Amino acid sequence: MTTAIRSKSGFSAYDSHQDTSKQAQWRADKWMIAGTLLMGTGVLGMLGLPLFFYGLHLQMQAAKAGLSVRPLIVTLIGYLVIIDSSLNSLGWAMDLFANHSLINRVLTSGWGAVFDGGYFWHYNELMLGPYAVGGSGAPGEKAWEIALILACFCPRLAAAIGLLQMKRWGQQWLIVTCWMGLIVWIGYNLNMTFYADVRYANITFPVLGWWIYDIFYITPFLSLPYLHTVNREIFSD
Amino acid sequence: MSKNTVSEQDRKRKKALIVFQVLLYSYLLGLFLFQLHLYSISDW
Repeated sequence: MTTAIRSKSGFSAYDSHQDTSKQAQWRADKWMIAGTLLMGTGVLGMLGLPLFFYGLHLQMQAAKAGLSVRPLIVTLIGYLVIIDSSLNSLGWAMDLFANHSLINRVLTSGWGAVFDGGYFWHYNELMLGPYAVGGSGAPGEKAWEIALILACFCPRLAAAIGLLQMKRWGQQWLIVTCWMGLIVWIGYNLNMTFYADVRYANITFPVLGWWIYDIFYITPFLSLPYLHTVNREIFSD
Repeated sequence: MSKNTVSEQDRKRKKALIVFQVLLYSYLLGLFLFQLHLYSISDW
Protein backbone atom coordinates (compact mmCIF):
# COMPACT_ATOMS: atom_id res chain seq x y z
CA MET A 1 0.00 0.00 0.00
CA THR A 2 2.84 2.33 0.90
CA THR A 3 4.45 1.79 -2.48
CA ALA A 4 1.17 2.65 -4.18
CA ILE A 5 1.19 6.24 -2.90
CA ARG A 6 4.89 6.81 -3.48
CA SER A 7 6.12 8.71 -6.49
CA LYS A 8 8.85 7.63 -8.87
CA SER A 9 11.56 9.12 -6.67
CA GLY A 10 10.50 6.76 -3.87
CA PHE A 11 8.86 9.38 -1.65
CA SER A 12 5.55 11.13 -1.90
CA ALA A 13 5.35 14.88 -1.38
CA TYR A 14 3.65 14.16 1.94
CA ASP A 15 6.51 11.93 3.15
CA SER A 16 9.05 14.49 2.10
CA HIS A 17 7.15 17.28 3.90
CA GLN A 18 6.90 15.16 7.05
CA ASP A 19 10.59 14.36 6.89
CA THR A 20 11.65 18.00 6.45
CA SER A 21 9.29 19.05 9.26
CA LYS A 22 10.74 16.43 11.60
CA GLN A 23 14.28 17.57 10.83
CA ALA A 24 13.38 21.23 11.40
CA GLN A 25 11.68 20.41 14.70
CA TRP A 26 14.66 18.41 15.92
CA ARG A 27 17.07 21.16 14.90
CA ALA A 28 15.06 23.68 16.94
CA ASP A 29 14.63 21.24 19.81
CA LYS A 30 18.38 20.64 20.12
CA TRP A 31 18.88 24.34 20.92
CA MET A 32 15.89 24.50 23.23
CA ILE A 33 16.92 21.33 25.09
CA ALA A 34 20.45 22.69 25.60
CA GLY A 35 19.03 26.03 26.82
CA THR A 36 16.54 24.32 29.12
CA LEU A 37 19.19 22.05 30.62
CA LEU A 38 21.31 25.10 31.47
CA MET A 39 18.35 27.10 32.80
CA GLY A 40 17.21 24.11 34.86
CA THR A 41 20.42 24.28 36.87
CA GLY A 42 19.55 27.77 38.09
CA VAL A 43 23.18 28.88 38.32
CA LEU A 44 23.73 28.71 34.54
CA GLY A 45 20.32 30.14 33.70
CA MET A 46 21.58 33.27 31.97
CA LEU A 47 23.65 31.15 29.57
CA GLY A 48 20.66 28.98 28.72
CA LEU A 49 18.20 31.74 27.89
CA PRO A 50 19.73 32.87 24.54
CA LEU A 51 20.14 29.24 23.41
CA PHE A 52 16.48 28.61 24.17
CA PHE A 53 15.37 31.74 22.31
CA TYR A 54 17.45 30.76 19.28
CA GLY A 55 15.73 27.35 19.19
CA LEU A 56 12.35 29.04 19.55
CA HIS A 57 13.24 31.35 16.68
CA LEU A 58 14.16 28.33 14.52
CA GLN A 59 10.83 26.66 15.29
CA MET A 60 8.87 29.83 14.47
CA GLN A 61 10.75 30.18 11.20
CA ALA A 62 9.95 26.57 10.30
CA ALA A 63 6.27 27.17 11.05
CA LYS A 64 6.33 30.30 8.88
CA ALA A 65 7.88 28.26 6.05
CA GLY A 66 4.82 25.99 6.19
CA LEU A 67 6.39 22.99 7.92
CA SER A 68 4.38 20.90 10.39
CA VAL A 69 6.05 21.72 13.66
CA ARG A 70 4.72 21.57 17.23
CA PRO A 71 2.26 24.35 18.21
CA LEU A 72 4.11 27.25 19.84
CA ILE A 73 2.00 27.17 23.02
CA VAL A 74 2.76 23.45 23.55
CA THR A 75 6.49 24.18 23.12
CA LEU A 76 6.39 27.04 25.62
CA ILE A 77 4.35 25.13 28.23
CA GLY A 78 6.45 21.97 27.84
CA TYR A 79 9.85 23.62 28.23
CA LEU A 80 8.63 25.97 30.96
CA VAL A 81 7.35 23.04 33.01
CA ILE A 82 10.69 21.25 32.52
CA ILE A 83 12.55 24.30 33.83
CA ASP A 84 10.15 24.65 36.78
CA SER A 85 10.52 20.96 37.69
CA SER A 86 14.30 20.98 37.30
CA LEU A 87 14.82 24.11 39.38
CA ASN A 88 12.67 22.77 42.20
CA SER A 89 13.99 19.20 42.09
CA LEU A 90 17.64 20.20 41.80
CA GLY A 91 17.51 22.96 44.42
CA TRP A 92 15.68 20.81 46.91
CA ALA A 93 17.73 17.68 46.17
CA MET A 94 20.83 19.75 46.96
CA ASP A 95 19.27 20.98 50.18
CA LEU A 96 18.52 17.35 51.09
CA PHE A 97 21.66 15.53 50.02
CA ALA A 98 24.35 18.06 49.12
CA ASN A 99 23.69 20.64 51.79
CA HIS A 100 27.34 20.90 52.80
CA SER A 101 28.63 21.41 49.27
CA LEU A 102 30.29 24.76 48.62
CA ILE A 103 27.86 25.71 45.84
CA ASN A 104 24.88 25.04 48.12
CA ARG A 105 26.33 26.88 51.09
CA VAL A 106 27.02 29.90 48.92
CA LEU A 107 23.96 30.00 46.67
CA THR A 108 21.16 28.44 48.70
CA SER A 109 21.99 30.12 51.97
CA GLY A 110 22.86 33.33 50.06
CA TRP A 111 19.39 33.22 48.51
CA GLY A 112 18.00 32.48 52.00
CA ALA A 113 19.71 35.53 53.49
CA VAL A 114 17.82 37.71 51.03
CA PHE A 115 14.43 36.01 50.60
CA ASP A 116 13.80 33.19 53.07
CA GLY A 117 15.27 32.89 56.57
CA GLY A 118 14.38 29.17 56.59
CA TYR A 119 17.35 28.71 54.26
CA PHE A 120 19.70 30.98 56.18
CA TRP A 121 19.31 31.03 59.96
CA HIS A 122 20.45 27.78 61.59
CA TYR A 123 21.18 26.38 58.12
CA ASN A 124 22.73 22.88 58.22
CA GLU A 125 21.90 22.46 61.91
CA LEU A 126 18.90 20.12 61.51
CA MET A 127 19.18 16.83 63.42
CA LEU A 128 16.85 13.81 63.38
CA GLY A 129 17.55 12.27 66.78
CA PRO A 130 21.24 11.40 66.65
CA TYR A 131 21.39 11.75 62.84
CA ALA A 132 22.61 14.91 61.14
CA VAL A 133 20.24 15.90 58.33
CA GLY A 134 21.39 19.44 57.58
CA GLY A 135 19.99 21.85 55.05
CA SER A 136 16.98 23.96 55.82
CA GLY A 137 15.62 23.49 59.31
CA ALA A 138 12.38 25.42 58.72
CA PRO A 139 9.35 23.58 60.17
CA GLY A 140 7.80 21.24 57.60
CA GLU A 141 10.27 22.11 54.87
CA LYS A 142 11.94 18.71 54.58
CA ALA A 143 8.55 16.97 54.29
CA TRP A 144 7.54 19.32 51.46
CA GLU A 145 10.86 18.77 49.71
CA ILE A 146 10.63 14.97 49.72
CA ALA A 147 6.90 14.81 48.98
CA LEU A 148 6.97 17.26 46.10
CA ILE A 149 10.15 15.98 44.42
CA LEU A 150 8.76 12.43 44.43
CA ALA A 151 5.07 13.01 43.81
CA CYS A 152 4.96 16.23 41.84
CA PHE A 153 8.09 17.56 40.19
CA CYS A 154 9.64 14.34 38.80
CA PRO A 155 6.32 13.06 37.35
CA ARG A 156 5.69 16.57 36.01
CA LEU A 157 9.10 16.57 34.32
CA ALA A 158 8.31 13.23 32.63
CA ALA A 159 4.86 14.48 31.63
CA ALA A 160 6.33 17.63 30.05
CA ILE A 161 8.71 15.51 27.96
CA GLY A 162 5.70 13.44 26.84
CA LEU A 163 3.81 16.64 26.01
CA LEU A 164 6.69 17.91 23.87
CA GLN A 165 6.63 14.59 22.01
CA MET A 166 2.90 15.27 21.41
CA LYS A 167 1.87 12.12 23.30
CA ARG A 168 -1.58 11.80 24.82
CA TRP A 169 -0.17 10.48 28.11
CA GLY A 170 2.03 13.58 28.32
CA GLN A 171 -0.97 15.89 28.09
CA GLN A 172 -2.98 13.80 30.58
CA TRP A 173 -0.18 13.52 33.13
CA LEU A 174 0.62 17.18 32.80
CA ILE A 175 -2.99 17.94 33.73
CA VAL A 176 -2.71 15.63 36.76
CA THR A 177 0.59 17.08 37.95
CA CYS A 178 -0.37 20.69 37.25
CA TRP A 179 -3.45 20.20 39.43
CA MET A 180 -1.01 19.15 42.15
CA GLY A 181 0.14 22.75 41.95
CA LEU A 182 -3.05 23.56 43.83
CA ILE A 183 -1.94 21.50 46.83
CA VAL A 184 1.58 22.92 46.54
CA TRP A 185 0.46 26.55 46.51
CA ILE A 186 -2.23 26.25 49.16
CA GLY A 187 -0.20 24.05 51.53
CA TYR A 188 3.29 25.50 51.11
CA ASN A 189 2.10 29.07 51.51
CA LEU A 190 0.05 28.23 54.58
CA ASN A 191 3.17 26.68 56.07
CA MET A 192 5.15 29.83 55.20
CA THR A 193 2.46 31.96 56.83
CA PHE A 194 2.19 29.93 60.04
CA TYR A 195 5.97 30.01 60.42
CA ALA A 196 6.42 33.55 59.11
CA ASP A 197 8.49 34.38 62.20
CA VAL A 198 11.02 31.73 61.12
CA ARG A 199 10.94 32.42 57.39
CA TYR A 200 10.96 36.19 57.30
CA ALA A 201 12.84 37.27 60.43
CA ASN A 202 16.11 39.17 59.95
CA ILE A 203 16.51 38.79 56.21
CA THR A 204 17.17 41.48 53.62
CA PHE A 205 13.89 41.46 51.75
CA PRO A 206 11.05 39.93 53.83
CA VAL A 207 7.64 38.89 52.40
CA LEU A 208 7.74 40.94 49.18
CA GLY A 209 11.06 39.40 48.10
CA TRP A 210 9.86 35.82 48.42
CA TRP A 211 6.66 36.55 46.50
CA ILE A 212 8.38 38.40 43.67
CA TYR A 213 10.92 35.60 43.32
CA ASP A 214 8.52 32.67 43.65
CA ILE A 215 5.28 33.78 41.99
CA PHE A 216 6.60 32.67 38.59
CA TYR A 217 6.49 29.06 39.77
CA ILE A 218 2.70 29.29 39.52
CA THR A 219 2.82 29.19 35.71
CA PRO A 220 2.29 25.40 35.35
CA PHE A 221 -1.00 25.91 37.17
CA LEU A 222 -1.81 28.76 34.78
CA SER A 223 -1.56 26.38 31.82
CA LEU A 224 -4.49 24.26 33.05
CA PRO A 225 -7.27 26.05 31.11
CA TYR A 226 -5.30 25.44 27.89
CA LEU A 227 -4.51 21.81 28.72
CA HIS A 228 -8.16 21.10 29.52
CA THR A 229 -9.61 22.75 26.43
CA VAL A 230 -7.03 21.93 23.73
CA ASN A 231 -8.18 19.53 21.03
CA ARG A 232 -6.93 16.19 22.38
CA GLU A 233 -6.72 14.76 18.87
CA ILE A 234 -3.47 16.67 18.24
CA PHE A 235 -1.79 14.35 20.76
CA SER A 236 -1.15 10.77 19.64
CA ASP A 237 -2.00 7.63 21.64
CA MET B 1 -23.55 14.82 20.04
CA SER B 2 -23.57 17.95 17.87
CA LYS B 3 -20.61 20.26 17.40
CA ASN B 4 -22.46 23.06 19.20
CA THR B 5 -22.97 20.95 22.32
CA VAL B 6 -19.24 20.23 22.47
CA SER B 7 -18.23 23.86 22.08
CA GLU B 8 -20.83 24.87 24.68
CA GLN B 9 -19.36 22.27 27.03
CA ASP B 10 -15.85 23.55 26.28
CA ARG B 11 -16.93 27.11 26.91
CA LYS B 12 -18.44 26.17 30.28
CA ARG B 13 -15.38 24.16 31.21
CA LYS B 14 -13.05 27.04 30.37
CA LYS B 15 -15.23 29.44 32.36
CA ALA B 16 -15.29 27.14 35.38
CA LEU B 17 -11.49 26.79 35.24
CA ILE B 18 -11.02 30.54 35.07
CA VAL B 19 -13.43 31.13 37.99
CA PHE B 20 -11.56 28.50 39.97
CA GLN B 21 -8.20 30.09 39.19
CA VAL B 22 -9.47 33.52 40.19
CA LEU B 23 -10.56 32.03 43.54
CA LEU B 24 -7.10 30.50 44.03
CA TYR B 25 -5.34 33.77 43.17
CA SER B 26 -7.61 35.63 45.59
CA TYR B 27 -6.68 33.14 48.29
CA LEU B 28 -2.97 33.62 47.55
CA LEU B 29 -3.37 37.38 47.52
CA GLY B 30 -5.08 37.06 50.91
CA LEU B 31 -2.12 35.09 52.29
CA PHE B 32 0.33 37.62 50.85
CA LEU B 33 -1.57 40.54 52.41
CA PHE B 34 -1.76 38.73 55.73
CA GLN B 35 2.00 38.17 55.63
CA LEU B 36 2.48 41.88 54.91
CA HIS B 37 0.23 42.62 57.90
CA LEU B 38 2.39 40.36 60.09
CA TYR B 39 5.46 42.14 58.74
CA SER B 40 4.01 45.53 59.65
CA ILE B 41 3.33 44.53 63.27
CA SER B 42 6.47 42.47 63.90
CA ASP B 43 10.07 43.58 64.35
CA TRP B 44 11.46 41.72 61.34
